[in-house]
Amino acid sequence: MSHLNAAAVDPPKTSSGVGSPFNPRLDEAIESACARIAPAWPLDRFIAVNPFWGLVDTPVSEVAAKLQAHSGAQLLMPRAWYSEAYRDGRLRDEHLQAAIDESHSNMSLTALRALLQQDEPARSTRARVVDLVDADRDLIHHMSWRSFITQNVSQFCAAYFDNGQAQLKPSREGGLYASWRRHAQKDRSPSLLMGADWYSKYPHDLPMTASDLTVTALAALDIPPHEQESYLWSLLLDQNGWASWCAYQRWTARLEGADDTTLSELLAIRLAWEWMLYRSGGDGLARRWRGALASWAQIDAAAAAARPHDWLLQTAMEIAWRAPVLRTLPSGFETARPTTVSVQAVFCIDVRSEVFRRALEATAPSIQTLGFAGFFGVPLDYQPLGAPTPRPQLPGLLAPRLRAQDIGLGPEAETQRDRALELGTHWKSFKTDALSTFTFVEALGLTYLGKLVGDALGLSSVRSVDQAGLSRTNNTQRKPRLIGSVTGQPLDFDARCDLAAGMLRGMSLTHRFARVVMLAGHGSATRNNPHAAGLDCGACCGQTGEVNARVAAALLNDPEVRKGLTKRGIEIPETTQFVAALHNTTTDEVEFFDLDELPPSHRDDIATLGSWLKDAGARARAERAPRLGLHEKDPSRLGRIVQARTTDWAQVRPEWGLANNAAFIVAPREHCQHLNLHGRAFLHEYRHQEDKGFGVLELIMTAPMLVTHWINFQYYASTVDNERYGSGNKVLHNVVGGHIGVFEGNGGDLRIGLPMQSLHDGTRWVHTPLRLSVFIEAPRSAIDAIVQKHANVRALAQNGWISLFQLDDEEGAIYALRAGRWHPVGVQAENAGSPRSDPGSSVSSDAVRSRE
Amino acid sequence: MHAFEEWPFVIALLGLAIPAIFAVAAVALPRRAELVGAPALAMAVCFTVGVALFKGTPGDDGASLGVRADAVTCVMLLLVTSLGVVIAHYSRTYLQGDPGLPRYQRWLLLTLSAVTTLVIANNLVVIALGWTATSIALHQLLTFYPDRTAALVAAHKKFLVSRLADACLAVSLVVIHSNVGSLDLDRIEAWTTAHPHLSPSMQFAAVLIVVAVALKSAQLPFHGWLTQVMEAPTPVSALLHAGVVNIGGFVLIRLSPWMSQAVFAQMLLVTIGLTTAVLAALVMTTRVSVKVALAWSTCAQMGFMLVQCGLGLWHLALLHLVAHSLYKAHAFLSAGTAVEGWRVDALAKPRSAPSPTRLVVGIVAALGAAALFIALVQHFVALSPADRFSVPMLAILVSLSMVPLVAQQTPSIAVYTAGAGRVIAVALLYIGWHVAAAHLMPTHVGVSNYLGCAFVGVGFVGLFAVKVTLQMAPNGRLARAIYPWLFAGFYLDERFTRITFRLWPPRRLPRSSTQPTIQLQKTIEVGT
Repeated sequence: MSHLNAAAVDPPKTSSGVGSPFNPRLDEAIESACARIAPAWPLDRFIAVNPFWGLVDTPVSEVAAKLQAHSGAQLLMPRAWYSEAYRDGRLRDEHLQAAIDESHSNMSLTALRALLQQDEPARSTRARVVDLVDADRDLIHHMSWRSFITQNVSQFCAAYFDNGQAQLKPSREGGLYASWRRHAQKDRSPSLLMGADWYSKYPHDLPMTASDLTVTALAALDIPPHEQESYLWSLLLDQNGWASWCAYQRWTARLEGADDTTLSELLAIRLAWEWMLYRSGGDGLARRWRGALASWAQIDAAAAAARPHDWLLQTAMEIAWRAPVLRTLPSGFETARPTTVSVQAVFCIDVRSEVFRRALEATAPSIQTLGFAGFFGVPLDYQPLGAPTPRPQLPGLLAPRLRAQDIGLGPEAETQRDRALELGTHWKSFKTDALSTFTFVEALGLTYLGKLVGDALGLSSVRSVDQAGLSRTNNTQRKPRLIGSVTGQPLDFDARCDLAAGMLRGMSLTHRFARVVMLAGHGSATRNNPHAAGLDCGACCGQTGEVNARVAAALLNDPEVRKGLTKRGIEIPETTQFVAALHNTTTDEVEFFDLDELPPSHRDDIATLGSWLKDAGARARAERAPRLGLHEKDPSRLGRIVQARTTDWAQVRPEWGLANNAAFIVAPREHCQHLNLHGRAFLHEYRHQEDKGFGVLELIMTAPMLVTHWINFQYYASTVDNERYGSGNKVLHNVVGGHIGVFEGNGGDLRIGLPMQSLHDGTRWVHTPLRLSVFIEAPRSAIDAIVQKHANVRALAQNGWISLFQLDDEEGAIYALRAGRWHPVGVQAENAGSPRSDPGSSVSSDAVRSRE
Repeated sequence: MHAFEEWPFVIALLGLAIPAIFAVAAVALPRRAELVGAPALAMAVCFTVGVALFKGTPGDDGASLGVRADAVTCVMLLLVTSLGVVIAHYSRTYLQGDPGLPRYQRWLLLTLSAVTTLVIANNLVVIALGWTATSIALHQLLTFYPDRTAALVAAHKKFLVSRLADACLAVSLVVIHSNVGSLDLDRIEAWTTAHPHLSPSMQFAAVLIVVAVALKSAQLPFHGWLTQVMEAPTPVSALLHAGVVNIGGFVLIRLSPWMSQAVFAQMLLVTIGLTTAVLAALVMTTRVSVKVALAWSTCAQMGFMLVQCGLGLWHLALLHLVAHSLYKAHAFLSAGTAVEGWRVDALAKPRSAPSPTRLVVGIVAALGAAALFIALVQHFVALSPADRFSVPMLAILVSLSMVPLVAQQTPSIAVYTAGAGRVIAVALLYIGWHVAAAHLMPTHVGVSNYLGCAFVGVGFVGLFAVKVTLQMAPNGRLARAIYPWLFAGFYLDERFTRITFRLWPPRRLPRSSTQPTIQLQKTIEVGT
């Protein structure tokens, strides 16, 4: 399991390239401010991220107060949302009381209920120089400096980072700050648009480097040392979209062992604006600035006092959802592991798999389904035939170590593809070139009538990007396979066997193999959708699981590898065949791959499996249909409707993705198989009895659990504050730089997170923002040990970012980890009236105690 | 024959029914807007068939019931109704769940009704009113999200520019009426034939029309509204760029018999159009987002269309108008595929700029082909005086624009063959459409705009030179000098935005983004 380096997931803490060598404290302030910004992946690799990842070492309610004071962001839903749930009866007094008890709050139930009737207190946010200047401006008849600067810096960043839209770009010489400084010195828009006649002289005084600027400006603005970090952080939050993009640059650079300074340079740019505005304001502004500085502490206090008890409401919502799960889950603990199994079907832990797996189990009771990370534990990147660079196919927490390429195609296919792609680029430049675009329109514009009609009727065929430039024959012959490590060295025999063994242990599948083991990755089918990659896989760099599944199946079918596995104690019968597949989450169809390599003996098995999958697909579609607003009852007609949505270029809600996710269950499937989790739970197969030393558990809690938390909080943050952490209205989306992200409309800051159409159906929220409840069936001591060992896991559990539960299959009970101690919940807790603490199994970390 | 004499009347009724059905649907059933498109398109097809069969038969007096039944009307009706079908259908799915959908559909239908009204009208007053109605109906769509400040600013800008244009148009109409005694298109045409030498007042009226058209076609420096209206749902952009912004070109085509005689107006058109085409095309290459790049491209294309009008190439202007509409509607509606396109591009190996040798070979080949073509045409086809200059100019323009198709290629027979095949196919398509367009529209023997042709030729060759220099040396001296100006859009819009803020500020609804400022007042009091 050594290939999954858990260390890579720690928020990076190394020093940044910007900062003054003479002022280590300032360096630290810059670095900590930057470390608070979580990365945002580009649209072609749209990974779900917790935008507060840099803040998880602080309790979530404190983070909420800080964010509100520094940027006005919200981490809770409006009170009206909670009171609506209360009125509907989804949230009841018992839940409120349980939330109060759990948190040892001194709030009374009456007071909490009263809170539901009150409006939220006014938000208080720290003023920056730009706010002081704007406060002095007639904002009805003039544009505000805040929106001007956001737009100006955003457009510049887009031009600087663009590598897919503009044909002409600014010079990147000297880096982001230097390039911006040159831009600022020539920029006349502040004087023309904002009437800032003073502007022309200031940019020439800007220091040459970002670090000098930071030192100079902080000194000029007279920011006290203990406030520097907060102030710098608040400036980054003002440009959070591009800050997240820069943080992504840094994240990927650091995964590769390098570094990137664009984030601190972006910070310098925002700071330079503050400084220039400050200089323009003279003594009057300086006086008011001192007043604003003095008020910061007060604002922080006001923000902290604003909604602390609202977190009880949020907790109560989570308790309300969990209650039936806690009540019904233990009854499954005694279910025995199935003995005769026709097929083992492995799906991604993704919440969408839960619906399909339930449907498949209902269709064919002899099937055993398993959940495993959809990249199948193969940390690879994939270089399609002829492509200049590989693309990662694994969670963004990890750096790829292995490489897959297309084999089975000769050099002619590569030449053919090269040629097709080259002709494609020529055509594109003919279409968009400044001169030939006129000729293009006159010669070919009329042919777009055909395209308009074709697209309007959904006739244009949808081909995946990986098929571009390949003929149909070549595409069927294309076989993505592991070729070695990312450095190009072939993988030796032992490494391949270790990889295979790690994979099987990871999914707790080391004996009792069925005749067919299906490894199903997943992907989606949408058209004209900039956020398509987010539906493919919010975890594995926004790619479909096809390549990983095919690589994994081929590896496990290799007779040599199987011999090696025997030596490692995993005996796969000769009659067992692994087969790769892809679960289309939009249509709930499953497609097999590499069937030509299947021995004739297994053809019938696959045919049977195929028909089961078809039936299961119909069931799953029927289950998902109402939420999509489809009320068709006839299965085949519903199938056609769902299919038509995948090619509809106007469809902004092709599927609901991972909306409504709420839980992560790490347990043998048979222990939760009796539950209908409504596609709200990530499911990971795990048998602690087979996990000696709990290496697999450690892996699950440090990789898949963090991934599910990231997805959970992407949805959470996009819902509670879509303006800052979501990407707004999809019908206004405007793709930036070919793949970097979207603007909502004409411009403004780069938008991160999910569009409203992925969360809301126009009348109500489809996603209910609940923090992830993690249920793990493993000894408490083992969970404790891992929580203690890994700082970020501990931070998540301790600071209220996730709730951790232990499923005790021996006692038939469930324990909750609260404030470092295990408390029995569920049936016993209900009988006892209030949760009892279990002194025997506390997390005895000093860090935890200090929080109490 | 009595039966025949009824036909123009029937055709006219059919024409009138199209705007009527849109309007009725807008009032009666805005929720099912997508159902209206198909019948309207069917009526447009019937109208076209009717015109094709009965044009020139006895009883055809050009315009019954105020409906102008000619090829231009047919082409425009087919265009607008097809776009209407596609856009209404698209919007229905795209905006599903939006509580404002009925309101959206209503204004969409009213916009289509206004556009089709002015398309069939034989009277300038109806055209002007239809144009204004289009602008006002579209305004409701552009401000569909009234809490978006940027949407309001852009819409207000557009509104101000459009009303200025309306004023120009109104004055012009008064002048025309005082000269011609009527505002019917056929009367104006007849009057022009009788008075080939325009009076100064009619020259002035033509100039005013050109100013109105330039204002409404997003020509520099009044283009800002067009490049900033990405604040409305995508299909609104498609409608605006494909069905509304080009009305100026249509109006000029309607007035072409008269405009062909108006020398000053023609020169003004060439000047405005050429400046916009060249500058906007260059600015387009610096835009960072897909929709804004498309908007700048529209500015440039509209400029190009006005240049064609200014040179008296009316049939080409019509062709350009229609071709651009279809292309741009598709480009906007499919703007979400940008990421997919990027991913496909990322599969291709990066290629360096063409080598100077290959470029020179490409240019020489292009000019050679152009020369050959010109020689052939002059030998075999009797060119009208106007065409004697415009054909060589276009031949050079087209052949130079083929250079990117051939200059960047890796040496391989297959790629060369494919490239050559494409060049030939594009050239044949280009010529074919032009010949077809020339058959569709009668040409007017107007004042031959030699100077304009030369001017345009120089302009586009200059554009080619600048573009090639920038491609060859992306960090060279020219690039460094010109990039800031292009990136800033030559600062043409900033002042106008400021003026708009003063004249008609965007309403500011209480939104969370304004909260810090509100709170601030309190903190300052506390602090000081």
